[in-house]
Amino acid sequence: MVPFLGNINLWLCLFFCVTQAINFKTTNDKNILRIKKISAYCLLLCSLISFFSLMYSYVYSDFSLINVFQNSHTTKPLLYKVSAVWGNHEGSMLLWILILSIFNFFIFRLINKNNLNFIIHALKSQALITFGFVFFTIFTSNPFDKMDSPQSEGLGFNPILQDPALAIHPPLLYIGYVGFSAVFSLSIATLKLNNDEKILWHLYMKPFVMVSWTFLTIGIMFGSIWAYYELGWGGWWFWDPVENASLMPWLIGTALLHSLIIVEKRKSLQTWVLLLSILCFLLSVVGTFLVRSGILTSVHTFALDPSRGIYILLFLGFLGFYSLTLFGLNSKKYFDRNYFAFFSKEGSILVNNIIMVIVCSTIFLGTIYPLLIEMFTNNKISVGEPFFNSTTIPIMAPAILIMGIGPLLAWEKESLVKVLRKSLPSILVTLIATITIFLIYRHYSILGIIGIFLAFWIIFNSFSHLITIKTKFSKGMIIAHLGIGLLILGITGSSVWQEEKIVRMNIDNKTQIKNYNVLFKKINEVEEQNYIAIKADFSIYDKNKNFVTKLEPENRFYLVTKNFTTEASIHTNLLRDLYIVLGDGNPQDGWVVRIYYNPLVIWIWIGAFAIFVGGIVTLTNNIKKFKILHL
Amino acid sequence: MKKKFFILPLIFFLLILLSFLYILVSERDPYNLPSNLINRNVPIFETDSLFKNEKFSSKQKFGEEIILVNFFATWCKPCHDEHKYIMDFANKEKIKVIGINYKDNDKKVKEFLKKLGNPYSEIAIDRKGRIAIDWGVYGIPETFIVNSEGVIKYRHAGQVTKKIYKKINSILNEISNVK
Amino acid sequence: MLNKNYKLIVFLNIIVFLNLIFFSQNFLHSVEPEEIMLNKEQEVRARNISKNIRCMVCQNQSIDDSNAPLAKDLRLLIRDKIKSGHENKEIYDFLVERYGDFILLKPPLKSSTFALWFMPLVFLLIGIIVILRHNKKYINKKNN
Repeated sequence: MVPFLGNINLWLCLFFCVTQAINFKTTNDKNILRIKKISAYCLLLCSLISFFSLMYSYVYSDFSLINVFQNSHTTKPLLYKVSAVWGNHEGSMLLWILILSIFNFFIFRLINKNNLNFIIHALKSQALITFGFVFFTIFTSNPFDKMDSPQSEGLGFNPILQDPALAIHPPLLYIGYVGFSAVFSLSIATLKLNNDEKILWHLYMKPFVMVSWTFLTIGIMFGSIWAYYELGWGGWWFWDPVENASLMPWLIGTALLHSLIIVEKRKSLQTWVLLLSILCFLLSVVGTFLVRSGILTSVHTFALDPSRGIYILLFLGFLGFYSLTLFGLNSKKYFDRNYFAFFSKEGSILVNNIIMVIVCSTIFLGTIYPLLIEMFTNNKISVGEPFFNSTTIPIMAPAILIMGIGPLLAWEKESLVKVLRKSLPSILVTLIATITIFLIYRHYSILGIIGIFLAFWIIFNSFSHLITIKTKFSKGMIIAHLGIGLLILGITGSSVWQEEKIVRMNIDNKTQIKNYNVLFKKINEVEEQNYIAIKADFSIYDKNKNFVTKLEPENRFYLVTKNFTTEASIHTNLLRDLYIVLGDGNPQDGWVVRIYYNPLVIWIWIGAFAIFVGGIVTLTNNIKKFKILHL
Repeated sequence: MKKKFFILPLIFFLLILLSFLYILVSERDPYNLPSNLINRNVPIFETDSLFKNEKFSSKQKFGEEIILVNFFATWCKPCHDEHKYIMDFANKEKIKVIGINYKDNDKKVKEFLKKLGNPYSEIAIDRKGRIAIDWGVYGIPETFIVNSEGVIKYRHAGQVTKKIYKKINSILNEISNVK
Repeated sequence: MLNKNYKLIVFLNIIVFLNLIFFSQNFLHSVEPEEIMLNKEQEVRARNISKNIRCMVCQNQSIDDSNAPLAKDLRLLIRDKIKSGHENKEIYDFLVERYGDFILLKPPLKSSTFALWFMPLVFLLIGIIVILRHNKKYINKKNN
């Protein structure tokens, strides 16, 4: 019954997308408004019902559905039954649709007499996008497909996904990806405006860009946190195609939200912003294509099915062709000649934009290059971490250098001398701090020095902006910039100074890492709802033999899927993480124990969280400003 | 000039789209890896021979006739499954098959061959997996075709199935016809 | 999702822990204590090489991060080669000769990868030109 309800509502979504998209032959604005209103409300309602019917089926373990049967199990804790809804391809499409219609609803809510034409264009485009995804879901990956014969027990699901960080990672990430669809639609609507219509389209765009970008940031962060403690070797970013797919829209989004400031303040770069907003969503769909079509091999990909790949590609082709043709034809009227000097606030933002686009293009190139090589030469190559590190880091570094002084610069033109005088204190403080750190730790490496310098540069500049200048700067921007500084600090610390110790230990054995003594005390068996585990017990003492903490890494065995997972145990403080993973072993020969000393890791998470907070603060400001101008 | 400029994104997009489409429809297997040893001489190695009390030296064994080289182990399940096809190569197709036994136990191999039949005219023992590395093997079973000049012509990674059996046969025919 | 070869060893009723079931597996990060070389400098070299060598049977993992048996063999091979005095380049060449360029996580510079390595520079150049042109136009406009 409930799955049936869900399925019907999915079909209804399709119907309301159509009613929202097509033009009715009526000249009466009121009637058009009424139809759009009904469509937008019903679309939201139907996708909600559809989504929650699937969730209901998961919670009550309705194994008459193939999707539930394959991905759930009665012994699963409630939280993971719920998150299992989006832990698989079909269910995640349903979440995708739900978020699409939520954004659709918000676009609708902006409608008024003055912007009727503009918003209706945006709603049309949004309905088209939603239609595409609902159609895709119904015909290639319907989560409400029935089993031939109902089962009493499900197949369980990948235990590596049974994890809180990974449970909330997809929804956050999807808000990011899908939010860019609203930006895309607004950009289409802008391109379709008549010459005589004056709409402050950038004001409409900004809150949507902020929401998407902010949630994309936090979504990527949760993915990394998960990788950090679940994959078990202290790394958190692997330049995997799926990670790249999420990073590319993030980079373009970063460029977009900065150049929107120029559009607002200086009426410049308008065509550029329109292009970026189209590209941002297209890249999100490209990411979806790469992840779900199976043309790339990745650790994260969903189950493969060629028809899905073809469909998404056709849909992507349609979206791209439509939007970019429209851009080619109509963007000229937004081309402005408000040039500005290189050395100015706009100039710094332009440089930031260009660098973000270069980095994004490089990542895109690296991600698809192996495919191209295979296509043209029948050879296979790997493009891995070393390539991405050696290309993106040097390109990124100048952007970060400029980021420190960017907010200080004046609009249009700035004199070098004045800026140097203004930023002299932070240059000095940064230099002194960097030198002091290296004099104390004497752990030199070029990357380390550059990383620490850039991190301090951003951090000190952000603080000086916060303290010295009253209300000139947006608080959100400073917090987000500070977050970037902290992020760089964490990245540098953890990648340059990581130390590891791999030893075979038996009970009562001791080992040392950095200034810590690690004592292997005992090993126990534990039993939980759907797994059993051995849990080791390590005591950590510092060099003065004071007890620091107890670490209990686990090896779990999930009974349903017969899978093993390792759970690292981590002790975190502001300076370092102590990270222990339990490996192979037995009571006679001892266990392989991997101990990592990862400096400054927590600053990665604090930094990313600060960016999130900064984004939220800016968002609320944007909305306030929008309300004032809108009414 | 300016107008053309605005249409550039569309052109780039279409190019990328077309290459995606091509990749998607060209029936490629993303997990398939080409061997780097095709059209190269057989690696030189010397090791113990399983049934004979002499050294197995690659220099002496290759270069006279077409030989099928099969990396196998008793602990590998696909090796069991493909064994009947390896038997067919030796008995039906009358091809000389050399087995290279990968990280295994001599006694178990002998039992295995007693039970399932021995298609191998000779078996070289690769105790540490170093010979496999020389051959660019990344997981057993793997099967190579070596022609009468001692040059590797084909590699199949993974289990020999009915389809692969046919494919290998057609390549074997091709090679002997060339001669 | 993560396709790892998990090896299951179950110890039943081990005297030390009565009625407890133990298990263990090959873990993701698999440099094992027995592999580590005594010469620290050589060990660092081995680790650095391993980080650039792809685990052929895994996805986007270096052999340094992988538990696959082949990855372990390759790690040991690299260490043997270092011990017997081979240069890093010789070791890379040795592996590429057998497994092709696919085994290198950092693609080598050659005609087919030329575009990969130089396109970022081209992007950078285009970027610089855009910025300079913009600046020039500003100056022109100011002067007029």
